[in-house]
Amino acid sequence: MISSFFGRDALSSGEAMLAALCVGLAFGWALERAGFGSSRRLAGIFYFRDMTVLKVMFTAVVVAMLGLEYLRRLGWVADEQLFFMPSIYGAQAVGGLILGIGFAIGGWCPGTAAVGVASGKWDALIFLGGAVVGSALFNEVFASVAGLYAWGDSGVQFAWQGLGISSSLFALLLTLLAVGCFWGAEYIEKRRSGTGQYLGSPFLQAFSVALVVVAAGLMILPGPTPDAAAAPSLPTGAVSESHLLQAIETAQDHIEPDELADRLLSGEPELLVVDVRPAEEFAAFHLRGAINIPLAELPVALAPYKNAGLIVLYSNGMTHPAQARDSLARLGFANVYLLTDGLDGFIERCLKPSSLRSEPLAAADIAKINAWRQHFLAPDVLPATPQSQPASPPPAPATLPVSAPVPPTLPGLVEPAWLAENLGDKTVRVLDVRVQPQYNTGHIAGSVCVSPEHFRGVVGGVSAMLLPPDMLARQMSLMGLQPTDTVVIVPDDKIHDATLVSMAFARLGHARCGILHGGFSRWAAEKHPVTTALPEIARSEYPVPPADTFTVNYRQVLDHVNQKDAVIIDVRPAEFYSGKKVEEARGGHIHGAVNRPFTEDVTKVGPIVVFKPVADLAKAYAEVIPSKDATVIVHCRTGHQASQACFVLRNLLGYRKVLWYDGGWSEWAARLELPIESPAGEK
Amino acid sequence: MNQKPIENRPLKPFMNPYLAGVILGLALLASYLILGAGLGASGGIARISAWFSQRLAPDHTQSSEYFGAWGETPLWYYLVFMLFGIVVGGLLSAILARRVRFQVERGAKASRMLRLSLALLGGVLVGFAARLARGCTSGQALSGSALALSGSLVFLLCMFAGGYAVAWFVRRQWHD
Repeated sequence: MISSFFGRDALSSGEAMLAALCVGLAFGWALERAGFGSSRRLAGIFYFRDMTVLKVMFTAVVVAMLGLEYLRRLGWVADEQLFFMPSIYGAQAVGGLILGIGFAIGGWCPGTAAVGVASGKWDALIFLGGAVVGSALFNEVFASVAGLYAWGDSGVQFAWQGLGISSSLFALLLTLLAVGCFWGAEYIEKRRSGTGQYLGSPFLQAFSVALVVVAAGLMILPGPTPDAAAAPSLPTGAVSESHLLQAIETAQDHIEPDELADRLLSGEPELLVVDVRPAEEFAAFHLRGAINIPLAELPVALAPYKNAGLIVLYSNGMTHPAQARDSLARLGFANVYLLTDGLDGFIERCLKPSSLRSEPLAAADIAKINAWRQHFLAPDVLPATPQSQPASPPPAPATLPVSAPVPPTLPGLVEPAWLAENLGDKTVRVLDVRVQPQYNTGHIAGSVCVSPEHFRGVVGGVSAMLLPPDMLARQMSLMGLQPTDTVVIVPDDKIHDATLVSMAFARLGHARCGILHGGFSRWAAEKHPVTTALPEIARSEYPVPPADTFTVNYRQVLDHVNQKDAVIIDVRPAEFYSGKKVEEARGGHIHGAVNRPFTEDVTKVGPIVVFKPVADLAKAYAEVIPSKDATVIVHCRTGHQASQACFVLRNLLGYRKVLWYDGGWSEWAARLELPIESPAGEK
Repeated sequence: MNQKPIENRPLKPFMNPYLAGVILGLALLASYLILGAGLGASGGIARISAWFSQRLAPDHTQSSEYFGAWGETPLWYYLVFMLFGIVVGGLLSAILARRVRFQVERGAKASRMLRLSLALLGGVLVGFAARLARGCTSGQALSGSALALSGSLVFLLCMFAGGYAVAWFVRRQWHD
């Protein structure tokens, strides 16, 4: 397994500089040997006189591509070790055009000009001087070209995905194209300049055959296919997300911890639970009934169970099982499932003692948890006491290849890289809404710890209502905030905590408010600095604005229900919407409301919870809401989860009339005169 | 000495282009395996540009959005070292092949001034475009294409389209 400087996050180390110097030596040597120290020769391609550029470049692309494909498939180099440049089509197309124009005019490109200088070419030196000026020019006019610079940002995109073919087929086709170009180039040279010395030569024949054979050899090794989730296709813009695990999510191939626990407890015969962690970790603790198979041995070991019964893979997190699932899927396994949130999630959801849980539990739930604990924490699987459960190592952070940060559009999402760069700015203020122990063990410098619950209270007899503006303004004053500050809210994996706080700022009319994209997990995964020091805060006088216009009470909702002039979206889990589960005065939903659970709007990239890609969100909501100007009312039980839907609709998707029923089902169900529907309760 | 201009002397034979391509491809592969990133040349040039900018107007550079993000030591960057390596590697190869000649490479009928002016103009355009596209022939066309990245392939096609579109207009610099 190769570990690169990029993969070790050590690209700024002295060793990396030395390594880059050595790679540069080989690069410069190869360019000079190819004859690229001559602008005449380089420019030859533009007049079909000397096609060397095409031959050398295309050969190099094919050789490197085939080499990388083989190494990746043989498992010698993982994708996390490689930097994948995002596709920013507009910038790349326009940049490519201008660069090509400059190349033809100047007779050089940057790398070849460096070799030209080494070969004594004055024109190369002048060209490089021009390039230095051109770079500085770009910096000077950056503000006016920033839009172009980010135009068409689509994240990491592979051509074979776009073409809908496997990467093996793409490599073969590109190799065939290259070979065709080589022969064409030789032919052109023969016709135009009387050269083309390799046309039909035994060398070119052998070289062509060798390339094609090597490329075709990829077909026998499993590689990524366009519909598989293995490709790290992560759109990078501030509001778009990964397809990485989303395909897995939408493929419904997850099994929830409680479901797995129940099925294991009932001793279901057709169920094979596979722990893919190292043997020591398996020995320390595993799910009772699971077997331990190392990742590499999965295809062989699981062959007898292929498409027979149910195979569930788990690890501490979800990354490895997901990758293994993909690999198995390509081998024809259609019965492989993943344990949602892995062993960590299982412990948290099923095995955490009911006494340690913050949410209220029904007696039935407590009994269930106790049964699970008794089964899964029995002495034969867990030699130590439950308190000394093996601390599972944190799952490896998924690499999110992101493009250069652009200034965020607020209210909206903020890239960690942007925040890191702007932390020194006194008008950039960070609110950490994670729980206190997490904050105390490490937080972003200058951030204040504030629970989302600080912004809620009893208003008019209804609990958990967002506080009125005067009280919110007081809170902001205590945190030393000014209406002109740029506020960045940092959640953990509960984005709705951040969106709830963003509602407080929305109520105050504070537009310069954003949510850290990927939350603290991504900040940490990207190795931005953290501190344990408390910030210095001086109290401010935050002005009190008039009441907001987006919060509605039950009377206003009732009007809309009667007039049928609004789309009402209930973002609670489906079983509460249907009335199957009841935690309030009544079960069911507001008359005419549609269900879109708030959990549908987020996805996970490794351990990092992020919003789904904007395109996907837009599509999902377009099916429910007729137009961007339609009146939409979102609600949940207490307004908390609905704040996330509000954020998505208003700030990510641009819906203009989004109303928030803060009182939510809690209030609606308790006011018995209000009309409801209860599909599950009717039977 | 007053013979044909040295530019028109037959060049020493270069390496078989396919073999040179294989070596270049292996250098690119090594770059990915060791550094985790592809080859690049314009990145180093831009850093040098930022360094000059920093010398001339430190406050302005630090407050600018693009160069400012590179901090006060823009030269401490792997692509700067790679660029230095390219020059040294090219120099070693050129010396061993006895190809170092101080000259302005141009067509026999083209003036030195014309060629240098075009080189300067081309350089400015390339320097600007490489920042916009986040890479040049090396970083985008070569390195990105080897990973089958869509945007890099778009860049490659547009680059040749741009080159062929203007080549005819600047052909005189190569006229013999």
